[in-house]
Amino acid sequence: MDVVRIENLTKVYGSGHTAVTALRGAGLHARCGELVAILGPSGSGKTTLLACMAGIVEPTRGRVCIDETCIYDDGWRVRDLRRFRREYLGFIFQSHNLVPFLTARENVLVALQINGVTGSRATDIAQRLLDDLGVGERQSHLPEKLSGGEQQRVAIARALANSPPVILADEPTAALDTQRGESVMALFRQIAHEKGSTVICVTHDQRMIQGFDHIYHVKDGLVTDGRPSTGDGEPTAPEE
Amino acid sequence: MNLAIRDLQQHWGRFTLSCFGVGLMLTLVLSYAGIYNGFVADALALIRSSGADLWVAQKDTRGPFAEISRLPEDVRYRIAVVPGVSEASPYIFYTVQRPWHSRSLRFVVVGYDLGTGLGGPTHLVAGRGISQGHYEMVADRKLGLYVGDSVHLGLHDYAVVGLTQGMVGTGGDPVAFFSLHDAEEIQFVKDNWSIRNARERAQKAYASALPTQPALAERLAREFADNPDQHTVNAILVRITPGADPKALATTISRWEYFTASTTAEQSKLMLEGSVALARRQTGLFRVLLILIVTVIIAHIIYTMTLEKLKPIALLKLIGAPNRMIAGLVLQQSLALGLTAYLIALGVGHMTYDKWPRRVLVETSDQLLLLVIVVASCVVASVMGLRRALRVEAGAALTG
Repeated sequence: MDVVRIENLTKVYGSGHTAVTALRGAGLHARCGELVAILGPSGSGKTTLLACMAGIVEPTRGRVCIDETCIYDDGWRVRDLRRFRREYLGFIFQSHNLVPFLTARENVLVALQINGVTGSRATDIAQRLLDDLGVGERQSHLPEKLSGGEQQRVAIARALANSPPVILADEPTAALDTQRGESVMALFRQIAHEKGSTVICVTHDQRMIQGFDHIYHVKDGLVTDGRPSTGDGEPTAPEE
Repeated sequence: MNLAIRDLQQHWGRFTLSCFGVGLMLTLVLSYAGIYNGFVADALALIRSSGADLWVAQKDTRGPFAEISRLPEDVRYRIAVVPGVSEASPYIFYTVQRPWHSRSLRFVVVGYDLGTGLGGPTHLVAGRGISQGHYEMVADRKLGLYVGDSVHLGLHDYAVVGLTQGMVGTGGDPVAFFSLHDAEEIQFVKDNWSIRNARERAQKAYASALPTQPALAERLAREFADNPDQHTVNAILVRITPGADPKALATTISRWEYFTASTTAEQSKLMLEGSVALARRQTGLFRVLLILIVTVIIAHIIYTMTLEKLKPIALLKLIGAPNRMIAGLVLQQSLALGLTAYLIALGVGHMTYDKWPRRVLVETSDQLLLLVIVVASCVVASVMGLRRALRVEAGAALTG
């Protein structure tokens, strides 16, 4: 069953002579528990695609459905996108992805608090997630006191806090060295395969594309469906 | 978990400094309210403590405090026989500034009749009241004198026998009480040097005018006399008999040709409508301006703090934080700043008011009013920051 379904998605920024088409009739499907990569060079439109999925950027045309809820459908959009995001989506980014004035534990707690989970239940969930991700010992540290890898793990813990069906990750390994990047990717696989969340990961980091269940390539606003990684670090040619 | 407080904890140094600055501004706002109350209290202190029911002053004047009033001292006997009058007592009130040791003493001389006690000191904090007709004085503590001190005024030395507290004149100068005749002497009797000068001037004027203008010579001689008539007072204080109507009695006395009588309430009203009303407008304007400045400063601080948090705010929006959470973050910080500053203002004021040169009387109602104003100012001040925070797009969290 498709948890993420994107059909004929077009996004045009600006109008007239200055119009820029970021996406041209893009399509994407992701099943439950699948680890999906969106690959493409800078400026290809992959972040716009992710932003449309996240309900941050409104597409010009097309449909975006997450877990049987269509948030965009040819000009129509769901009324409360922020509520949709907190219930259906988890976010992980390359950097600047933690609230700087909150400790690691509070960064996870705030996501729970936003979703109405408070008190000892929230504390237990945050503690368990941080322990699972190996940063339990660093829970009372502010982000500035954490290494890049630790920050990313805390961000993953926050993304998982409300057990969303879909996790969107934008260049999650770009700021990490190879070893830490692989560690994060291993976590994504574990989240997708063991917790059943669909992880959609935008990247142009060729080192990290091993082990994705599904790969999409974006180039000049066009999205092409690719087969899973061959395991040698190179993606297969996109399907026609 | 409170986001506003957690953020402030990260910037506690700057936040504390901001609170302190705004707090000092609020201290001024509160002080101006206290200064105005002080004006009122000072203006009414002598009236309230006098024990008089009626004030009789020179015809068509609003004396003795609002303007100069002069009456012959013996008027007291004419007033004392008016039906309904229990006691009539002469009263002298004027300001002097005299050197004393290495400093200058500026104070209000109040002369009162020791027999009736009307207009005299009521609450002593040290020493005793004036018990002999001459050369004793009771001073207010603000004058900086102690019991046993001696002050040279005019021809004589006056011993401080008692101290009052909070007894000041309408201008805020401390009061010194004297017997009526001592007060008259201090005001009118010339010292030896002045007498010598006056005699010389009188002789010269007389000698020069006598050959051709004997009438003028006679008048000049009188003008330069050693001591003019010194039995002049500023008002007659009246205590009425129980059951007498003060207003009716004032009307009766006012009908006499050369007097104006007012009740104590009317005398108080005269004071408040005069110089105090001007002070109220002045301090009121200062308070409004200061509140506006405080609001602008808080707005600026909150706006700057909000600008520094745009990224985290975008992130919070991205992960689904509702607008009320974002608004709460900004508003709570604004209120935290305002309320902390308010507490600082209360503390600083409490510690310093007694050191101000004029009386500062801050009442609970002033403190509560300021609290309401501070809360309202904080809400207004946070509007700019709120608008900025709510305009942040969630997508801004995705950009580096």
